[in-house]
Amino acid sequence: MTGDDPADPVDTDDPESGLAERRGLDETVVYQPAEDSGLLAEAAVAEAHGRVLEVGTGSGWVAQQIADERGLAVVGSDLNPHAARQARERGVEGVVADLLSPFRADAFDTVCFNPPYLPTDPDNEWDDWMEHALSGGESGRELIEPFLDDVGRALAPGGVVLLLVSSLTGYDEVLTLAEDAGFAADPVVEESFPFETLTVVALRRA
Amino acid sequence: MDVVCCPLDKADLELDVDERDDEEILAGTLTCTECGETYPIEDGIPNLLPPDMREEAAA
Repeated sequence: MTGDDPADPVDTDDPESGLAERRGLDETVVYQPAEDSGLLAEAAVAEAHGRVLEVGTGSGWVAQQIADERGLAVVGSDLNPHAARQARERGVEGVVADLLSPFRADAFDTVCFNPPYLPTDPDNEWDDWMEHALSGGESGRELIEPFLDDVGRALAPGGVVLLLVSSLTGYDEVLTLAEDAGFAADPVVEESFPFETLTVVALRRA
Repeated sequence: MDVVCCPLDKADLELDVDERDDEEILAGTLTCTECGETYPIEDGIPNLLPPDMREEAAA
């Protein structure tokens, strides 16, 4: 809902905003940029074109990198209203949404997603915003599956999906889901960490 | 924002503006032209969660 240039600096001087106070809150309820965010940003800055959507934008940091580095208009959506607000403070067009459900057919040329992917024992679900940001359910793929089922609808012809996949979630399993959804996958960047390997794959219609 | 639609039936949304700042819509309502469901815009952010999830998310 903004006509602003996404590269515009965010107004941090509003005395009524209680920004510092909200920032404190936001760090506990909104996922902050980490290694996976950096990897997705690297791939997205290289591959993004046209109209861009970042699903599960969290703090909006990745979306902001794409907007700043590539001068593209970026929409950041998140289930968490605190995240949508934080993304907006970064100059990203924030929307509160469940995955791709409120986006039109063919609306975006690029869709980025760093999903909540940690496999989580149902007995250990802790049910707060941070859990929503991290947990991918028992398989680690509970958000990836519905995302892949619907992303083809929102993706314009010639569009690309940039999806972060962790080895914890099962790389081969995720790629099989992507193939079943009609996509061919190419790895763009990959990095290994002590407990997981992170890969950003570019998905294009097969 | 011409990229959004009703999350329930993917129909067009009609915009009613309550508050505007330059070109930015700060507050208003998006109404589905098909099912009539309404979605609020608050602080410049449209909340397009389906109604059942919106209640849950407000907690």
